[in-house]
Amino acid sequence: MDPIYPWLDPVEVRRLADRLMKPNREPAVTAADAGFGENFVGYATEQAPPILREEPPAAAKVVEPRIEPVVATPPSLPPPLPESPTSARGPFLDRIKRFRDWMHHNFGATGIFILDREGSVIFDESSHGRLHFLARSLALASRRPGASAGNVHVKIGAGATLEVIPIETAYGCLVLGAVVSESLSPASVTAVMDALAQVASPPPEA
Amino acid sequence: MISIAVSSQKGGVGKTTVSINLAHSFARAGVKTLLVDADPQGSVGLSLTRQSRLLAGFYDYLADPGIPLERLIVPTRLDTFSLVASGQASDYEAGGGGMGAHLARVRAFLRGASARGFDLCLIDTAAGLFGVTGDVIASSDAIMIPQQAEPLGIRSVPKLLEGLNRLRVMNPRLSVLGVCLTMVQNDLAESTEAAAALRQLLPPEMVFQTQIPRDGLFVRASARGLPIGVLEDGAGAQVVFDSLRAEIEAKLEPNSGHYVARG
Repeated sequence: MDPIYPWLDPVEVRRLADRLMKPNREPAVTAADAGFGENFVGYATEQAPPILREEPPAAAKVVEPRIEPVVATPPSLPPPLPESPTSARGPFLDRIKRFRDWMHHNFGATGIFILDREGSVIFDESSHGRLHFLARSLALASRRPGASAGNVHVKIGAGATLEVIPIETAYGCLVLGAVVSESLSPASVTAVMDALAQVASPPPEA
Repeated sequence: MISIAVSSQKGGVGKTTVSINLAHSFARAGVKTLLVDADPQGSVGLSLTRQSRLLAGFYDYLADPGIPLERLIVPTRLDTFSLVASGQASDYEAGGGGMGAHLARVRAFLRGASARGFDLCLIDTAAGLFGVTGDVIASSDAIMIPQQAEPLGIRSVPKLLEGLNRLRVMNPRLSVLGVCLTMVQNDLAESTEAAAALRQLLPPEMVFQTQIPRDGLFVRASARGLPIGVLEDGAGAQVVFDSLRAEIEAKLEPNSGHYVARG
């Protein structure tokens, strides 16, 4: 009996091997491109606590508007929302823009972008296009067998951290990249995940 | 400088033997070589230096940003050949930190080695493609993969290739030098069949022509704490590693600026 071939798929093995031997067509991530400067302190893999579905979603809370400048330090909990990104439906792009404004107001995000599971850009007004590849790599690297990907963050410069949050939505896994002054707390990450999942949910059946 | 990770999906395939003797071959050819023990078992150190359990090493560097690289580098009688042992922090570091946790320090280490004039940094990693080993591969210029010539080892190849493809997303410039068959026993049908099966399975350019035989000389060399080429009767085995070195040199881009052979 053949001791090798019944155990593996030669066609698949050859495909994987050929891919490895080809020069990589992905753009080379140089230290500068990736933001791996002297300030790079490595990744933190902080799994956000599970979302408790029995709790009312953050978006449903009725809160007083806050008139405050952009927060300079990371909030331990998401502060009250002046306007929930999910409080009104509308075209997808409008909902995403409200989400962007919500991120800016509550977490001081200076730019956000959203990639789909193939790495294609769904939304980007961040002017941080060169971080897309890094975000996708981080999201892939954070995956654990049998578990959904956790959020990761990487310091990309003085006072700037790229927070990468993979989020399961009705349209598949989306990767949110947000440039914030400091990494978000687990509670904040949970709130962001919940908010984007709602933004990206299809309209309810009439 | 070029950095080469010597890694495998499976343990016990001869990574340390390949690393020590290949590094020695490069050093003999005049290439200023740093052999790094990134395996928490500390096999390189245990093989080549009696005091390895007292030496600060690679894992201490990862754990403590205050340790200068100079403190880790152990010279040998061959002035082109230096070592960095695994270190004292390895035991608790082995299980600590997920993939990416040590990336910055690994890259700082390689930058430091390059700045100190090494032409080649050969890194003997722990088995598996995760944790610190993943960070080493995600920071290296190239990887070579020792693979034991036996059926069970060959069956692990798909997992190895999947893992390498994932790591290549993080490190697109990673060059896969290829798989090197080790512990080949020409008098054992299962071993030669496994070697032939691997060659049939993978693209020819992905498998080194040089094969490392299973030989008692390796055990003797290890017992005496020497590379095999230093043994009185080790010249024949040294030829094998010189041949492997020549194959690697041919695969490295001559004009890449990474590596300049002085041979």
